[in-house]
Amino acid sequence: MTRELPVAILLVAGVALMLLSCVGLVAMRSTLDRLHYAGPAGLGALLVSTAVTVEESFSLIGNKSLAVGVFVVLSGVVLVHVTARAVRVHELGRWEIGRGEDVEVEEP
Amino acid sequence: MNEWLVAATVLVVALAPCLALCMAGQPVDGLVALEIAGILTTAILVLLAEGLHRQSFVDLAVVFAVLNFAGGLAFARMLERRL
Repeated sequence: MTRELPVAILLVAGVALMLLSCVGLVAMRSTLDRLHYAGPAGLGALLVSTAVTVEESFSLIGNKSLAVGVFVVLSGVVLVHVTARAVRVHELGRWEIGRGEDVEVEEP
Repeated sequence: MNEWLVAATVLVVALAPCLALCMAGQPVDGLVALEIAGILTTAILVLLAEGLHRQSFVDLAVVFAVLNFAGGLAFARMLERRL
């Protein structure tokens, strides 16, 4: 089978990416640093589900696993943003930029 | 035991640090760990469906991905309100 090599590469890369993001999750100090590792974990899930799709071609499991991978990546973006907002509100008590806060923002 | 089940086993082991952070860390840290654990669990369910040759079980992964998204939104909203 010529599909074995790409499947193995995708599977190992995806699992390694998810393992690394777990290590990073524990190694980082602050919550916002930890939040960075949700992105690589989603990409790892996309690689794993792509491996399943390459193995099984476009069948019942192939289509659905690819859809799951894409959904995990897309919903991960939204989840990271919402969580970062919750962390800021949790720390500061508000979401808006404060008076003395030095943030680059484009005034309308 | 094929390569899919080996990969699923490795990912189950990787759930342990997420669980430890959920139990020991601050609530916001636990939320981040919960989201990453949900991503890992989705991948585990896909791998189990492929490795056990039960192709219709991939529906579990579909449902879990959607529920993980809704759960993450709900938890983040609750953390904002509770302060």
